Amino acid sequence: MGQIEIRGLSIDYRKPKSDETFTAVENVSLSIEKGSFVTIVGSSGCGKSTLLMAIAGLIPRARGSIQVDGKEVSKPGPDRAMVFQDASLLPWRSVHANVRFGLELQRWTRDDIDERAMRYVRMVGLGAFADYHPHQLSGGMRQRVNIARALAVDPDVLLMDEPFGALDAQTREVMGDELLRIWERDKKTAIFVTHAIDEAIFLGDRVVVMGRNPGHIRDVVDIDLPRPRTAVMLDSPAFVAYRKRLREYIAADMQSLQMVEDVV
Amino acid sequence: MASIAVPAPRVRSRWARALERYYGLSVSVVSVLCFLLLWEVAAERGWINARFSSQPSQIWRAAIHVGLTDDFAYHCWVSFAAFALGFAMALAVSVPLGLYLGTSRRGRLFIEPPLMALYTAPRLALLPILIVWLGIGLASKVAVVFLGAVFPILVNTMAGVRSADNRLVTAARAFGAGKLDIFVKVLVPGSLPAILMGVRLGVGRGVLSVVVGEMFVSEAGVGYQIMTYGQAMQFNNLLVYAFTISLFGYALTVGVRMLEDRIRSWRPAS
Ligand SMILES: Nc1ncnc2c1ncn2[C@@H]1O[C@H](COP(=O)(O)OP(=O)(O)O)[C@@H](O)[C@H]1O
Ligand SMILES: [Mg+2]
Repeated sequence: MGQIEIRGLSIDYRKPKSDETFTAVENVSLSIEKGSFVTIVGSSGCGKSTLLMAIAGLIPRARGSIQVDGKEVSKPGPDRAMVFQDASLLPWRSVHANVRFGLELQRWTRDDIDERAMRYVRMVGLGAFADYHPHQLSGGMRQRVNIARALAVDPDVLLMDEPFGALDAQTREVMGDELLRIWERDKKTAIFVTHAIDEAIFLGDRVVVMGRNPGHIRDVVDIDLPRPRTAVMLDSPAFVAYRKRLREYIAADMQSLQMVEDVV
Repeated sequence: MASIAVPAPRVRSRWARALERYYGLSVSVVSVLCFLLLWEVAAERGWINARFSSQPSQIWRAAIHVGLTDDFAYHCWVSFAAFALGFAMALAVSVPLGLYLGTSRRGRLFIEPPLMALYTAPRLALLPILIVWLGIGLASKVAVVFLGAVFPILVNTMAGVRSADNRLVTAARAFGAGKLDIFVKVLVPGSLPAILMGVRLGVGRGVLSVVVGEMFVSEAGVGYQIMTYGQAMQFNNLLVYAFTISLFGYALTVGVRMLEDRIRSWRPAS
């Protein structure tokens, strides 16, 4: 479960205070095998979040289709769960109650949600912090809660929008390892948005490179590194080659942005 | 995993907390005592005229007198009943209405103009109309309290709902939350601090309203007694009633504030 087919997808936003539309994502086609870990990189504003929100069913699309296991996506569903960047935990709920939140919303039976939530709190290593409130946690711990909340509802597809974007480099690495460890257990289809190239290579089976104006897919790079991935691989020749290739894309994108700004 | 440092939560010992609480209290008590002492001495020495500005020792004597002979408890009860009824009605109307208006743009557009007109209108000016409608007595007083308390609660509740964090709403929607889920699990708990702040302001307004109301539209109650003693120039007795009202309002405000602090315990200390 968790096969995703995106065909000819375009997404428009209404420009503020006008009837004109602005195309944020144009003609994106992508298929994602079930159980694979796909990362999406691209400079900011190229439509990564927009694409992810569309897969989540949170925003309508202008053209094209998105199917999960052959079913057209029209709204959020229990087959998909989303991990947001930060500050999406309910500040008045404890860690445990935050993980319960998704279960409550998806109407899991009362009897086992407490226990199930606790199991996922433990799985992300926060067993001792179940009664803490989000403001009492570090950024990394908050993101663990976010991940636990998404996994607890047992989705087929895990959507993550720069979940480690607000973390410092070291915590980020630890979290990446941790995420892979958890993912390897039941291999849910994972789509992970980031703007960090190393992170994209380290985590992904495939890296989708997006460009902007309007947002589109420039390339899809298969990452041929063995799993489990380890920190040593970061310096392997293969990794370095991937890094070089992806950097060039992003650099080109930044340059085109520069040109746009020069013209304006 | 163990490599992530975890800040210990702020857990203070019972003793430290008690000390902190009594520190504030004792400073307040000393402040009040100093003020009373200064007042007493000033009146004694003739720095101020005790006949018009009274004197703590005289007020104390008056308090005993009032308490024994003046139907003090009855007047307090009359005022309290008017306050409690009016305030309960204000709560029952303002919280649901505020929650609704906070979520409905159309509702806001429709109700806001007359609401704001009433909010800014001097409510005392409405008193003659209220008397014509409701007569002199409980009903008018309840209406005055209601009008005094309803707006701060309503306005704050509305603001609380409207300032809800959009990211939380999006997160809820991503897990399949419907409108009712979002309302019950995100908007209401998120605006609870704002609602309580409104309640606290409403308490102040309500207490003030009951006294003012009784000065004009009553034949009993604390406000009525204040009016009567004022006209008779019996300031000691007047002040006994005035202090009673202050104490009541203060106690209630402190109570709500304690509730607010409890509700806010999930927030970072600000
Ligand atoms: N709600 C919105 N309304 C209008 N424009 C939006 C909205 N959200 C994003 N955009 C625009 O769409 C483009 C892509 O945004 P986004 O998907 O957030 O990019 P990314 O996540 O890659 O940084 C940007 O130009 C952004 O300004
Ligand atoms: Mg984004």
